[in-house]
Amino acid sequence: MFGLHYKIERSAIGLVTFIVLVASIGGLIEIAPLFTIDETVEQAPDMRVYTPLEVAGRNIYIREGCYACHSQMIRTLRDEVERYGPYSLAVESSYDHPQLWGSKRTGPDLARLGNKYSDAWHTVHLFNPRDVVPESKMPAYRWLLRDPLRTDDLGNHLSALRAVGVPYTDEQVANAALDAYGQANPETAAADGVAERYGSATNIRMFDGVSTRLTDMDALVAYLQVLGNLTDAAHQPNQPEAE
Amino acid sequence: MIADLTRAERQWAMMILGALGIVGLAMAVAGRNDLLGIHGWIVLAAGLGGFIAFMRGKDAPEPSDDRLNEYYDAPTRLGIILTLLWGVVGMGAGLWVASLLAWPELTFDAAWASFGRLRPVHTSGVIFGFGGNALIATSFHVLQRTTRARLPDQISPWFVLLGYNLFCVIAASGYLMGLTQSKEYAEPEWYADIWLVVVWVVYFAIYMRTLARRKEPHIYVANWYYMAFILVVAILHIVNNLAVPVSFGSAKSYSLFSGVQDAMTQWWYGHNAVAFFLTAGFLGMMYYYLPKRAGRPIFSYRMSIISFWGITFMYMWAGSHHLHYTALPHWVQTLGMAFSVVLLVPSWASAGNALLTLNGAWHKVRDDAVLRFMALAAIFYGITTFEGSFMAIRAVNSLSHYTDWTIGHVHAGALGWVAMITFGSLYSIVPSMWKRPSLYSAKLVEVHFWLALSGTVVYVFAMWNSGVIQGLMWRTYTESGTLSYSFIDSLVAMHPYYIARAFGGLLFLLGALVALYNVVMTIRMPAPATEDAALDIPVQPALQAGE
Amino acid sequence: MPFDHDTVVGFSKSFGLFYLVTLSVIALAWTYWPSNKKGFDEAARLPVREEEDRPWR
Repeated sequence: MFGLHYKIERSAIGLVTFIVLVASIGGLIEIAPLFTIDETVEQAPDMRVYTPLEVAGRNIYIREGCYACHSQMIRTLRDEVERYGPYSLAVESSYDHPQLWGSKRTGPDLARLGNKYSDAWHTVHLFNPRDVVPESKMPAYRWLLRDPLRTDDLGNHLSALRAVGVPYTDEQVANAALDAYGQANPETAAADGVAERYGSATNIRMFDGVSTRLTDMDALVAYLQVLGNLTDAAHQPNQPEAE
Repeated sequence: MIADLTRAERQWAMMILGALGIVGLAMAVAGRNDLLGIHGWIVLAAGLGGFIAFMRGKDAPEPSDDRLNEYYDAPTRLGIILTLLWGVVGMGAGLWVASLLAWPELTFDAAWASFGRLRPVHTSGVIFGFGGNALIATSFHVLQRTTRARLPDQISPWFVLLGYNLFCVIAASGYLMGLTQSKEYAEPEWYADIWLVVVWVVYFAIYMRTLARRKEPHIYVANWYYMAFILVVAILHIVNNLAVPVSFGSAKSYSLFSGVQDAMTQWWYGHNAVAFFLTAGFLGMMYYYLPKRAGRPIFSYRMSIISFWGITFMYMWAGSHHLHYTALPHWVQTLGMAFSVVLLVPSWASAGNALLTLNGAWHKVRDDAVLRFMALAAIFYGITTFEGSFMAIRAVNSLSHYTDWTIGHVHAGALGWVAMITFGSLYSIVPSMWKRPSLYSAKLVEVHFWLALSGTVVYVFAMWNSGVIQGLMWRTYTESGTLSYSFIDSLVAMHPYYIARAFGGLLFLLGALVALYNVVMTIRMPAPATEDAALDIPVQPALQAGE
Repeated sequence: MPFDHDTVVGFSKSFGLFYLVTLSVIALAWTYWPSNKKGFDEAARLPVREEEDRPWR
């Protein structure tokens, strides 16, 4: 036994091997089982995918670092459930690449934000939070109304998401840019295609209040309005009680 | 720098820089309709700038073989300066974001100046810019002294140091443009991540090649910590950043993992970045510089080995304590909590080992602010690891999670432990690195020490208070069984603490500026006249930082 | 999936414990092996030795 240890200590390669052996096991044991979790986790047959406009909005949420101050994970604690709504289930973020659970609440949790406030409230609030919440510490995101939304590469975004496991159809990928336009312009022919491809529960509205052009604001508000509404699973009565 | 290289090494360097320039050009062309293109131009400029500098310097005479009789310290010297510069940038960004929370209008309607984009500049600036450069600079120094072998060649250390800083520049400039993966402490996008892997492989190779040429039979324990840092960070980085780019012309990528798997992977990474980047590497620093400065061997070498294996093994399990009461399965949460609590044993073994080493040399701690930095770092390490284990307990975490208490905990570790041990170590090697008899001013070190200590204390107490108040307000009920406070009530209550926190950060930043000034003035002090020392001074290493 | 969730979790919990204990015993035995003491004592003096600040060759 001594000989073996002596060699490990003498040889840098032995040390390296031992470090890797010791260090990797904890991660393997905790993470590997999670990849078989689909078998036991709650089912959500009604789970729908994000529309192209919502994907674009989600990317703006990431770009502006919203996750640094807002969580999207309601814990199984009584006060959180009363403040924010039913606690978050694993299945609800199963199409979130990456997840945006967050780690800090400088602002409130957003997991159940969808359709809680009007589009107009969100647009005003994002333009200048202190117009609607005087004590707010949130930055004013005025450029969201100024900047036109880029839609030409949304098809590529959807196929990349499909490559990592989100079930987009060929038709959804092919019409991504058109659907992004249609979702924010309810009076147009493009809007019908959105409902057809993404279901009738999809929000099809002029999110920023202006129909003529698509802005970053349209996308972000569309995303905020779908938060917590991809599936009804969390509202089903068979969930265990919060602690 | 160029004059120190042999002709053959200069040709290698030019080939590497040329290849880098071509990669940059390819990125600029492929990403011409995307923000990727801007990063392409930055990479191209770095490659081309270096290439031109070599074109102009390539005919300089060959360096003499005498260089092989000296340790190769030029990369360490530049690394020290970069550490201090990134420290000022990162802490400056920190002060700015802290002020934004007290006065949100300081964004000036510019997208790049909003909280969400500046925050990663702060976190990456201090962790990767300040911490990473300090680790690279000191690891080269410690590695050579403890093996009594010169670094294996003259290009690869520069490749690691400058390549790493290119990564940091890409990361920070990307955040300002809105490029981020949104994974905390792993924000840089896919192409920056690939580049870091290349740099890291070379870094690891330097370590192995130097160790293979060592004179000493034993590998000193500081090197174990540095090696664990290099190896485990590589594993974490590669696994956590697996992603599919939208296209090769797009900066955006989508993480391979989603939902609960992604959350666990992210916090397995996030927590172990703290463990192996901000703890293991800096423990390596402590185990070399603290005994050296105190003039006493480490109290118990065996204890340092036990704590090494303890930390390497147990940290890896602790990440799930970031996900208590979430959709993560209960048994994983419990496992993470249990290991987090046991982790206190090896952590306190290290802190205790450091303090017991100083036992009998307290008069030195009293008189020497440099050693005092290191002693204080060990104390803060002990405090922070205790607090960490405490906060990992589910019941405590239900209160502390999502609040400023976490921020206070992180800064007790980052300011009190990481930055203090770094400043102590840098101060202790700066004179010998530039062949100066002493630092420019011992008094300024004293000033820095008190600024750093008071800044840390103000910061941490402000965040402890605000965090606990916030957590309690969120869960307080009225007698009739409804929630007492709205979210906005809790936000209003935070305001005075946010101002106090910004003030603490300001003190700490001032300390870092004093350190930068002191080091620059030390370098600018006239060199002693001895012939031996004069030979050893590099040709203005700082001026070539842009290469 | 070739394994069901309960099997993987069961393996994690049993094998993980076994692995933890084995590696700890190896690390502890090696650290406190009496004949290793001399090497450790030498190594501990590495940072504080008085010597020329140069490589060995």
